[in-house]
Amino acid sequence: MMDVCLWWRQPSRMVDNRRTKMSPNFRWLLSVLTLLHLIMQINSQKRGVLRDLKCTTNNLQVWDCAWKAPLGASHGTVNEVCIEDRFHSCHRLEKTNIKIPALSPGDHEVTINYLHGFESSPSKFILNEKNVSLIPDPPEILNLSADFPTSTLHLKWNDKGSAFPPHSDAVWEIKVLRKPSMELVKLMSFNTTLSGKDIVHHWNWTSDLPLECATHYVGIRRYIDCHHFSGRKEWSDWSLLKNISWTPNSETKAFPQDKVILVGSNITFCCVSQTKVLSGQIGKTFCPLIHLHGESVAIHIQNISVSENSGTNVVFTTEDNVYGTVVFAGYPPDVPQKLNCETHDLKEIICSWNPGKPTGLVGPRNTNYTLFESFSGKYVIFERFETLTNESYQLLFQMLPNQEIHNFTLTGRNPLGQAESTILVNITERVSPRTPTSLKVKDINSTVVTLSWHLPGNFAKINLLCQIEIYKDNSKQELRNVAIKGVEDSSYIVAVDKLNPYTIYTFRIRCSTETFWKWSKWSNEKQHLTVEAIPSKAPDTWREWSSDGKNLIIFWKPLPISEANGKILSYNVSCSSHEETQSLSEILDPQHKAEIQLDKNDYIISVVAKNSVGSSPPSKIASMEIPNDDLKVEQAVGTGKRILLTWHHDPNMTCDYVIKWCNSSRSEPCLMDWKKVPSNSTETVIESDQFQPGVRYNFFLYGCRNQGYQLLRSIIGYIEELAPIVAPNFTVEDTSADSILVKWEDIPVEELRGFLRGYLFYFQKGERDMPKMRSLESGHSDIKIKNITDISQKTLRIADLQGKTSYHLVLRAYTDGGLGPEKSMFVVTKENSVGLIIAILIPVAVAVMVGVVTSVLCYRKREWIKETFYPDIPNPENCKALQFQKSICEGSNALKTLEMNPCTPNNVEVLESRSIVPKIEDTEIISPVAECPEESEADPENHVVVSYCPPIIEEELANPAADEAGGTSQVVYIDIQSMYQPQAKPEEEADIEPVVVAAVAGYKPQMRLPINSAVEETAAEDDTDKTAGYRPQVNVNTWNLVSPDSPRSTDSNSEVVSFGSPCSINSRQFLIPPKDEDSPKSSGGGWSFTNFFQNKPND
Amino acid sequence: MHWGAHTVHLGKCNPLPVAPPYDPQSDSSVSLLPHLEAKIRQTHSLARLLTKYAEQLLEEYVRHQGDPFGLPGFSPPRLPVAGLSAPAPTHAGLPVRERLRLDAAALDALPGLLDAVRRHQAELNPSAPRLLRRLEDAARQARALGAAVDTVLAALGALGARGPGPEPAAAAAATVTNTAAGIFSAKVLGLRVCGLYGEWVSRTEGDLGQLVPGGLA
Repeated sequence: MMDVCLWWRQPSRMVDNRRTKMSPNFRWLLSVLTLLHLIMQINSQKRGVLRDLKCTTNNLQVWDCAWKAPLGASHGTVNEVCIEDRFHSCHRLEKTNIKIPALSPGDHEVTINYLHGFESSPSKFILNEKNVSLIPDPPEILNLSADFPTSTLHLKWNDKGSAFPPHSDAVWEIKVLRKPSMELVKLMSFNTTLSGKDIVHHWNWTSDLPLECATHYVGIRRYIDCHHFSGRKEWSDWSLLKNISWTPNSETKAFPQDKVILVGSNITFCCVSQTKVLSGQIGKTFCPLIHLHGESVAIHIQNISVSENSGTNVVFTTEDNVYGTVVFAGYPPDVPQKLNCETHDLKEIICSWNPGKPTGLVGPRNTNYTLFESFSGKYVIFERFETLTNESYQLLFQMLPNQEIHNFTLTGRNPLGQAESTILVNITERVSPRTPTSLKVKDINSTVVTLSWHLPGNFAKINLLCQIEIYKDNSKQELRNVAIKGVEDSSYIVAVDKLNPYTIYTFRIRCSTETFWKWSKWSNEKQHLTVEAIPSKAPDTWREWSSDGKNLIIFWKPLPISEANGKILSYNVSCSSHEETQSLSEILDPQHKAEIQLDKNDYIISVVAKNSVGSSPPSKIASMEIPNDDLKVEQAVGTGKRILLTWHHDPNMTCDYVIKWCNSSRSEPCLMDWKKVPSNSTETVIESDQFQPGVRYNFFLYGCRNQGYQLLRSIIGYIEELAPIVAPNFTVEDTSADSILVKWEDIPVEELRGFLRGYLFYFQKGERDMPKMRSLESGHSDIKIKNITDISQKTLRIADLQGKTSYHLVLRAYTDGGLGPEKSMFVVTKENSVGLIIAILIPVAVAVMVGVVTSVLCYRKREWIKETFYPDIPNPENCKALQFQKSICEGSNALKTLEMNPCTPNNVEVLESRSIVPKIEDTEIISPVAECPEESEADPENHVVVSYCPPIIEEELANPAADEAGGTSQVVYIDIQSMYQPQAKPEEEADIEPVVVAAVAGYKPQMRLPINSAVEETAAEDDTDKTAGYRPQVNVNTWNLVSPDSPRSTDSNSEVVSFGSPCSINSRQFLIPPKDEDSPKSSGGGWSFTNFFQNKPND
Repeated sequence: MHWGAHTVHLGKCNPLPVAPPYDPQSDSSVSLLPHLEAKIRQTHSLARLLTKYAEQLLEEYVRHQGDPFGLPGFSPPRLPVAGLSAPAPTHAGLPVRERLRLDAAALDALPGLLDAVRRHQAELNPSAPRLLRRLEDAARQARALGAAVDTVLAALGALGARGPGPEPAAAAAATVTNTAAGIFSAKVLGLRVCGLYGEWVSRTEGDLGQLVPGGLA
């Protein structure tokens, strides 16, 4: 007994031990006990003891107890089972289990005794409910179905709740397996409470893999938790598996077909194929294939993007075909936005809304909207294939009679979900009437009309509020609200008063309800001309006496349309005095003046305007004009197109003030316009579109006194001053050597364009052809400016000028509007004669004095001068010509210079005598110059040769014939310098007549020959010409021109003939060469300082 | 003179025995020939125009079906269309009148199919009005061309010998709009119908071209 209990209790204890953390000691103890238990088991078997009594129940009503037969007991052995229950029943049976009714709580002794020779002792067990296990029967699946388009499994089973006490908890566990590997793809459990009755339960599950792609199996088991049962509770076995498989048809092999899914979700497509699938793609994107079974494959798409209208194509390509499906990825409907319900006519309600975010789904997958009214239970459906963009949707809901409150629920649905909005409205407060039509206007009188219009709608129970827009030309629109009792589809009429007669009005109307919601649209406009009324005011009148003072001209202004109240047809002018009233003939519009011949009596002129309805009140004005001796002319300048005139209050003026104005350039009587102001005014602003800037106007202020007008003030003014448009015309009245008197004229008023403020006078030195005086205002230092602010000044004298100088004069006038144009003139001051005379005389006197002093000095010091500059016998040592270096002369006979030794003295040969005998005597000196026989042979007759050292130099006449023709004695000098000086070309020389170097006989100065090259020498000579008083005579041409008989060198190396010695003082020529080549030609006849130093031939 | 020229032309282009209406000995047919020639020309011009429209329709259809429709490597199966067969390869070898009979039969079946395609596309592409309009036009034009070919056949005296008529248009259309087959299949079938429309119109143009004086235009 203890063993059994121990056995009963041991597992649970062991289970408990497993569930708790065991300490090492406890484990050790447990091991010992287990071992002990095993030993006892073995002993009991040996003794034929029953084992393993185990009781279970599946419904808590019957316990099924089973045990294992003892060793040695054969099948069919009868045993007796006695249970110590309430009845102490015993049962004889041949099997090893027994079903007994559930025992009451508590311990019950069970005795099992094997009979008929089996030698064993009765086995006793203590049986308690706690030792009984509750193992329910496996649930039975009533139905397993599939919705292939949605890949959803529907499971249905019976909970058999009637077998258990009510309120027992049941736990269900469902598993889904998928072929071919029978992998567990879903295991889920959920709880129910048994009701004591058999209840059928449902469970739906959507597979991520289309159900067509693989066979799915479903099994279920349960666990009953009966609170009254104290025994052990265990899961039932799994039910029999049920499967769902797809029967393929000939067409469709790609799954799922035409599914609508949420954007961004993941989806698997499969292709059930008997042939090899080559590729799978979504759109244009190929995806890796996932092998399922056989040749079937799948592709997995993650985060799918929104589809185009026709969906996203998924295509599987096999070896011999193409299979495809379409998936539509979109969004569930957005919550309808801006749901608004209103009515135009209280007959039907228009609910409009904005669908919100597009779903990306169209056609049959587009969102359908249902508008449900909860009070009436009515609904309307909005269905449309197209998706409207940027457009509100609307539904019409027919109103029920007498229902004002409406509770609308708008639900949008598509395959991915639904969304709704609600609105509760009192429809009488949501009336937006339709546009009023058939607007008509009818006259009542000149200021009242009636408006009528038609407004469709069932407004019998509400009041309407209508707004009338009244528009009059050139005035602001006027809005008038009018409340009207609503009627059923009828016309409405209202009166509009306070209108102006004979005025064109434009009317239009719109309506709402008193509980304002929205205005209707404006009706069409209706234009209407009100009828005429008599003119409301008298014309504004003024009078002017004609220039001869005999006639009075009456002026009046046409009445404005608001006062004319119709078309003015004519005016009646009448004239009254104390004695009589004279009415003139009717003056037709548009003439607005009349001329009356009056005597000097006082008259009252009356003017009345008439239209088709009647006459205006008369406008009266007195003819008398009260003189005013104290009248001054004032100036005023306005701003813009207005001018402000002010005056002092005059209590004597009892009626009003009148300001009249006219253009000052107009002839009298001039009247542009007038303005009347009340007698209590002291200022007024004159404003007229006729005012122009730069035009002078005359303003006259009249005061009304005892029905007579007195001129109070006379004002000239400008609305705006401008600069003059012309320059003052000025002339030069007088000119002296140091001053100019300028006179100018006034500028005409029309061209002045403002009040003259002064003149600016500019002047500066300048010729007529000089550029104009620029930048007059820039303050050039040489421009002098005179600002003449005295406008009465008309002349100006400009002093401190220079004589005989051209001056540029400019004159400009200016106003406050600016400077006018300039007028300029050039004036030359007169010459200062005294100064000129002085300027001439002083230099002449100085020159004469210098000349006299010089002459005296030269005369007194002539000996010294002669000794110094022109000694009679030059010192040969000082003669550079004799200092040629030997080397220069070497190698060429032509270059032989004068050699002092062993020259024989020169011979002077006189070839011919003339009347004018050359002063050869002066040159007859003894010179150690050798005689040149060749030269003598060449021309022995015509030459007087003075040779210093000519033996090595040949001198010959270039043109003997010329010499003959000349017939004059010639002194031929041997050309020394020509050996060094390059000269003109021989051809040119041939054309030149032989010249006489010196026309007189005598000593020829010896030329100084520098050792430098000829070119350098030429330059040096030039310098020398400028610096030295003594000059070697080098200018051959000069000399050539003097005498045609001049000797000429024929030496080929000596092309230039040079004469004279720089050391000689007997030269007849001026030693300082002239500046230009022409001078020597005229040297014979002209006056020259050289004459002072030239010796006379007789000296 | 005109009659003689026409007779020569027909005899040259048509390998069939000359049908009774073309019997030059028949006086009653003399007045029909100018009308027939004009009708053939007119029908041929219509077919030529529709050939061009059919190409545009096919392009427009493909453009609205999404990828991979229209991609170079995509060649959907040429599904059979109930009531409308593709022009057989042996079509060219048939006599002209026989070809015209087949053309007329196909053109008779096409409007219903095109209408069905249009309805399906109206659900699928409701925002493609040009495609829907082209499909509608194509159905109407196919009907007109079929009627014109019928007239030519009648003038040729061959209308009565027209082959077995196509299946009722409703049945054919039901094939196209069979949603059980899936939208993809409907797209492919629509593509097929549009293609067949182009093929048959082109074939009709060619067949009529052989009847036009001067040969193939």
